[in-house]
Amino acid sequence: MSVVRRALIGPLVLILFSQAAAAQDPRLAARLDKPTLGSVRAIVDSARVAGLPTAPLVDKALEGSAKGSDGGNITSAVHQLYLRMGSAKRAIGPTATADEIKSASDALDAGVSARDLARLRSASGKRPLTMPLAVLSDLIGRKVPVATATDLVIQLAKSGLNDPEFALFQRNVRADIDRGADPTVAATTRARGLVLRTGSETKPAE
Amino acid sequence: MHDQRDPIESIARELRRPVQVSVSLDDRIMGEVRQLPHYGRLKLWLRLTTPRTITITPLRVGLAAAALAMFAILGAAHVGNDIWRVATPIATAMFPSIKKPAPNQRVQFVLVAPDAKKVSVVGDFNGWDVAHAGYQAQHRGGGVWSVTAPVPVGHHRYSFVVDDSVWVADPTAPRVIDNDYGMPNSAIVVSEQQK
Amino acid sequence: MEGSSDAVIVARVLRGDVEGFRILVERYHDRYARYAFHMLGNREDAEEALQDAFTRAYRSLGRCEDPERFGAWLFRILVNRCRTLGARRGRRAQTFVVDETAILEAAEEHPADRNAWREEIDRALQQLRTEQREAFLLKYVDDMGYDEMSQLTGVGVSALKMRVMRACERLRELLSEVQSA
Repeated sequence: MSVVRRALIGPLVLILFSQAAAAQDPRLAARLDKPTLGSVRAIVDSARVAGLPTAPLVDKALEGSAKGSDGGNITSAVHQLYLRMGSAKRAIGPTATADEIKSASDALDAGVSARDLARLRSASGKRPLTMPLAVLSDLIGRKVPVATATDLVIQLAKSGLNDPEFALFQRNVRADIDRGADPTVAATTRARGLVLRTGSETKPAE
Repeated sequence: MHDQRDPIESIARELRRPVQVSVSLDDRIMGEVRQLPHYGRLKLWLRLTTPRTITITPLRVGLAAAALAMFAILGAAHVGNDIWRVATPIATAMFPSIKKPAPNQRVQFVLVAPDAKKVSVVGDFNGWDVAHAGYQAQHRGGGVWSVTAPVPVGHHRYSFVVDDSVWVADPTAPRVIDNDYGMPNSAIVVSEQQK
Repeated sequence: MEGSSDAVIVARVLRGDVEGFRILVERYHDRYARYAFHMLGNREDAEEALQDAFTRAYRSLGRCEDPERFGAWLFRILVNRCRTLGARRGRRAQTFVVDETAILEAAEEHPADRNAWREEIDRALQQLRTEQREAFLLKYVDDMGYDEMSQLTGVGVSALKMRVMRACERLRELLSEVQSA
C-alpha cells in the first residue's frame, strides 16, 4: 500500500470512529427523548460534515437536559451553537482549534461581531485566542459595553499580553467592579495600565 | 390613507413594498462564494461525507465483512502502526477536535454558600452530571465549600449547583452569557502548565 | 440560463459552475431582503443575514434535498440566521434606527404622511416579540399558509396561530393611537 493511500485512509478511519462516536454518545440517548435525540444527532452530523467540533454540541445538549429544558429548547440551543461555531470558525480562520471555536462562539453569543473576532485574530498573531476571548465575554457579562470591551481586548492582544496576564487583568477588573467601580472605567483603566507598560497607548471605544 | 378600521391589512400592504439593499450586495455574496471550494472538486468529499441510507442484505453484509477482514489482514501485514503515524497529524490538521485525549489537570473549585446543604460542580468536563461522584464539594467550615477535581486541558463552561436546584456561577471566574437555558455559567481555561 | 428552473441551476453549480449561483442570488435577494429587513429592523443587519444565508446555502448545496424548491430551503436558512442575528442584536441593546432608504419608496400619498405612518409601523414591528414578528411577517407579508409556516419554522400550527393573533393584537394596540391621530 502506498504512503499516499495510507495517508488518505488513515484520517478517514480516525474521522469516522471519533466523530461518529460523538453523534452516538450514549449519554445523549440516556438523557434526551427520542425526537430531541434525533434532532441533536442530525445537527452533530452536520457539524462533522462541516469540519466543526462536535463535542461542544453534545455538551450543550447535556447542559440543557441537566438544567431541565424541554426538547425544543435543547434542539434550538444546539442548533444555534452549531450556527455560531460556523460563524466563529469563518471569522478566526480554518486553523482555529476546537477550544478557540468554542470560546469564539461564546463571544458571538455575547454580542461580539464576526468582524471583531477577525480583528482579534489578526491582533493576536499566532497566539491562542481562547483566553482573550474568555476574558472578552466576561467583560461583556460584567456590563462593559461590547464595543469598549472588544477594543480593549484587541489592544491588549496587540500589545502582546500572554494568557496569565489576561487572567490577571480579568481578576483585577472583577475585583474593582466588586468594590463598586464603574465596569467601563475599571476595564479601561486596568487595560491602559497594561498597555502603557508595554509601550503603546489604548483608546476606549466610547 | 391607511385603513381606519383595522390596521393589519394596511400594515401588511406597507410591509410588502420592496426593500432596497446595497447594489454591491450581490457582488459581495459572490465574492465570498468564490472563496469557497468549488463543487467539482468536492465531489469525492461529498460522497464520503453526505449521510445516505443503505439497505442491508445478506450479500452486502458478507461483502462488507470480507472487505473489513481484508483491510485488517492488509493492515496487519503491510501497514502496521505506520498508518496511524501518517494519519494522525493529517486528521488532526483537518479536524482540530480529533486529538488524543487532553491530559487532565487538578482544579480547585470553591464556593461560599453558608446556607447550603449540598454543593456540586457541573460542566463540560463531567457531562453536566449533578450526581457525578468526583465533583461533589465538601463543606470545609464557615460556609466554604470546595472540591479539587480533574479537568481536561482546554476551555470549559461550568456552574455550581446548590442543593440540587439552584444554579450559581462561580463568582471568581469569567462569566459566560447564557442565552440558551437562562441560567448562569462560568468559563475556565485550563492550560498544560496549570496546577 | 436565467430562465432555468432552480433545480437546473443548482445542478450546474454542483458540477462546478460557481457563477451560476449568481442567478439564484439575483432571483431571491429582493424578496428575502424584505423579510430580513423587517425582522432585524435595519439594513446593515439584514444584508449580513442575507449574505450569510446565501453563503451557507452554497456550502450546503449538496445537501439540498429538493433543488426544485431551493428558494424555500434558502428561506429556512435565512429565517434561522435572522433569529440568531436578532437575538445578538437584542443583547447589544441597539436603539431602533429607521432605515431611510427603506422608507423613501415611491409615495402614493403625501410623502410626509406616508413616511410617518411607515415609521410607526417599523417601530411597532420592532416592539413585537421576535417569534411574534416572525410569524406575522410569514403570514401577512410573505402570504404563507400555516402548514408551510410550520414546516419552515419547526413550530406547531396552533402555536403559530397564537403568535400571529398576539402580534395582530399588539400591532393594533401600538398603532391605534397613531391611526386615530
